[in-house]
Amino acid sequence: MPLLEASALQKRFGGVDAVRGVAVRVEAGELLGLFGPNGAGKTTLFNLIAGAHLPDRGEIRFAGQDITRLPAFRRARLGIARTFQVVRPFRDLTVVENVLAAVPSEGASLHDGVAAAWSLLDHVGLADRANDRAGALTLGMLKRLEVARALATEPRLLLLDEPLAGLTAREAADLLAFIGGLKARTSIVMVEHNVRLSLPACDRAVVMEAGAVIAEGAPDEIRRHPEVVRAYLGEDAA
Amino acid sequence: MSITLLFQLLVNGLVVGGLLSLVALGLVLIFGVMRVVNFAHGEFITLGAYATYLLVSQTGLSPLIGVPVAFALGALVGWVVQVAVIAQVTSRPELDMLMVTYALSIIGLGLFAQGFGGDFRSYAAGPSGSVSLAGVMIGWRSLTVLLFSVAMGGATLLLVQRARIGLALRALALNRDAAASCGINVVSGERVAFCLGVGIAAAAGSLISLIGTTTPTVGHEWVLDGFVVVVLGGMGSIGGALAAALAIGLVQSFTSFALDDSWAKIITYLLLYATLLLRPHGLLGRRGAEA
Amino acid sequence: MISVPNRRSAVPGGIAAALAVAGLAAALPWLGVSSYGQTLVYYAAYYLALGQAWNLMSGMTGYVSFAHGAFAGIGAYAVVIALNGDWRMLPALFAAAVAAVLASLVIGATSLRLRGIAFTFATLFFQELTLLILRKLPFTGGPGGLVLQQILPTWLPYVMMIALAAAATIAVAMLRRSRLGLRILALKGDEAAAVALGIDATRIKLALFCASAAIAGLAGAAHGLFAASLYPDVVFSVDISLVALAVPMIGGVATAIGPVVGAVLYVGIRELLQVVAPQLHLTIVGLLLLLVMLFLREGIAPAVAGSIRRRVRGAAVPSPAPEGSR
Repeated sequence: MPLLEASALQKRFGGVDAVRGVAVRVEAGELLGLFGPNGAGKTTLFNLIAGAHLPDRGEIRFAGQDITRLPAFRRARLGIARTFQVVRPFRDLTVVENVLAAVPSEGASLHDGVAAAWSLLDHVGLADRANDRAGALTLGMLKRLEVARALATEPRLLLLDEPLAGLTAREAADLLAFIGGLKARTSIVMVEHNVRLSLPACDRAVVMEAGAVIAEGAPDEIRRHPEVVRAYLGEDAA
Repeated sequence: MSITLLFQLLVNGLVVGGLLSLVALGLVLIFGVMRVVNFAHGEFITLGAYATYLLVSQTGLSPLIGVPVAFALGALVGWVVQVAVIAQVTSRPELDMLMVTYALSIIGLGLFAQGFGGDFRSYAAGPSGSVSLAGVMIGWRSLTVLLFSVAMGGATLLLVQRARIGLALRALALNRDAAASCGINVVSGERVAFCLGVGIAAAAGSLISLIGTTTPTVGHEWVLDGFVVVVLGGMGSIGGALAAALAIGLVQSFTSFALDDSWAKIITYLLLYATLLLRPHGLLGRRGAEA
Repeated sequence: MISVPNRRSAVPGGIAAALAVAGLAAALPWLGVSSYGQTLVYYAAYYLALGQAWNLMSGMTGYVSFAHGAFAGIGAYAVVIALNGDWRMLPALFAAAVAAVLASLVIGATSLRLRGIAFTFATLFFQELTLLILRKLPFTGGPGGLVLQQILPTWLPYVMMIALAAAATIAVAMLRRSRLGLRILALKGDEAAAVALGIDATRIKLALFCASAAIAGLAGAAHGLFAASLYPDVVFSVDISLVALAVPMIGGVATAIGPVVGAVLYVGIRELLQVVAPQLHLTIVGLLLLLVMLFLREGIAPAVAGSIRRRVRGAAVPSPAPEGSR
């Protein structure tokens, strides 16, 4: 059984069909890339999975459970964590507090939470900035903080919304390597604009155009897929 | 209900609706361009009312002179407040902006209450008596207020719809960043919107002093109705606000007659809750306007 | 800025200090302090209780309430009506809290699922509506008001108010040092991001708003007993909502100590101006609020504490796991 399975998803904004009849699945332990030109509907699909929007039609199942109508916070508690395209740190809290706020509170003592938060910060390389206000970090650091915060919820599925956007080539490569290393902890769906850099890191990829899936498969298949070449890679990766 | 009474109530409703449109127009201009709900708006109305009262009672000039004087005074004070205070917090969270305008409101309220006491102020100069139109008696003062409201509201609409500065303001209201990148000066746009909005509020206050009595809280009472109008109209839509202002004016006029003034207020305020509950984006507002 | 885990040891000390101050204040009637002095302390406690009530909801979440004056007024009316109906004191106080909570539920249901200004509007108009409707209800005495029919010892409302202020302050202090408090501040920082971390924003906001209304209702009830006669225009004066908001905003929002500083300042300002220019206290409080918003965004107490801390030592370091976290 796939970890996440969405079928026949439909979402309309105003007069625009942002997502039209999309089916997508995520297997346990994989890193799925979600690609497509601007306006293809990938961010909408992402928001439907995370629960930021509810679909007009269709079904989403997570670990066998129907989550189609669940509010975002319940999905987060079930194990779906996300980051944001434009980083959204809690700017007035310190770095360690940002992560601590995300550690599930039930059953864990305050002390356990602190230890978990510190070890996550260590993991993303922010331990030395732990007591700074999050507002004082650089964009690259904030992206890592957001990943640490999402990981603190102990997700089974991590949704990354354009994690590489705005980063320097060096930062992007580092973060991508780091994301690859997370597969041991959680399945990952990554929406990315930078196909050339991120496609090789994926186990599988889904390409969307105009609200529909036009290709799905392993990175090599995607790269050669005629629809993909026409719609997207042709202009980007030529 | 006789037909003359019906017309009478209709005219009363139009007068209140006209004033409310002016109040709401200022609020919408400021909210649209700056994303600030101006909690000090009511005190600018009070400022205009007391300015007119002082002008009339001290110099014996006509209260009609008071309208442009109040507008100019309001715009001037608005300019100072915008530059010295509002502009300092425009990049801060919504909470900060709310607190700052609320603080300004309290500052003004205290000054008016201390300076003028709780007395009801009015004056005898200016238009008086009434005119009979097809059997309906309309006070000259009400008629004056109605005409001024229509003229000022129309002028503001023309400015926003037709003039170059109006185009800039509308662009800012739609999308700040895009407007800025098209070479529109965000800082001066916000300044103009605030001055204009506050100036209109003070001019409305001047008109209010003509048909009612002036107290330290007169603006507060009017701005509450103004808020209802803005929410009903869809937070930032000028057309929506004008329609809502007329509707509220008529509702109040008829309720005041059928029951009493406080029921008129109660029903107006309950309309706000109904709107929040049923149409969070206002009766005529577009979805996503809160984003 | 907060630092939840590291100063855990400071909490019992802080609570002990709060209890000591409250105990001392409560004992003033028996220590020969003038009734003028007692009145000042009483008003400081009243303003502190209102301020902490507001702090608990609006300070912690950033959802600004203008309805706390109405909650206090509802509490005052409820307790007086109940006592006049021969209820005993505790059930009457309980009724005051429940009435205020019900009012908060009405506001919360219409507006707490909406973001932004909707909640503030809903509270503002609730305040106005309560006054308008109360004047029309048969059992509230209309515009003429109500008088408490029994004579209570003067120390009773006095001690009640001080106990309530102390309890509310301790509650805020404990919340600020809990994981829940941190999650609430995250919610204030960015609601969508907090929700994505599994934080149930609507439930937290509603629970805080109810707790906050209960405290305000009890403060109003104690004040109703203190004043013994209620006039709607006084009980529901906008002043009370202003006090609730200004006390924490000026003293230090989302902190336990801030409203203490704010309440003392507020009482001081009112008292100094009482004879010369009684209405001007609004202007001074407004100016203070404006200056704090422009220059000391976190309020006076955190700013002072911050400058002392910077002088004494570096920034506070939340304790990592005892070993091996670095």
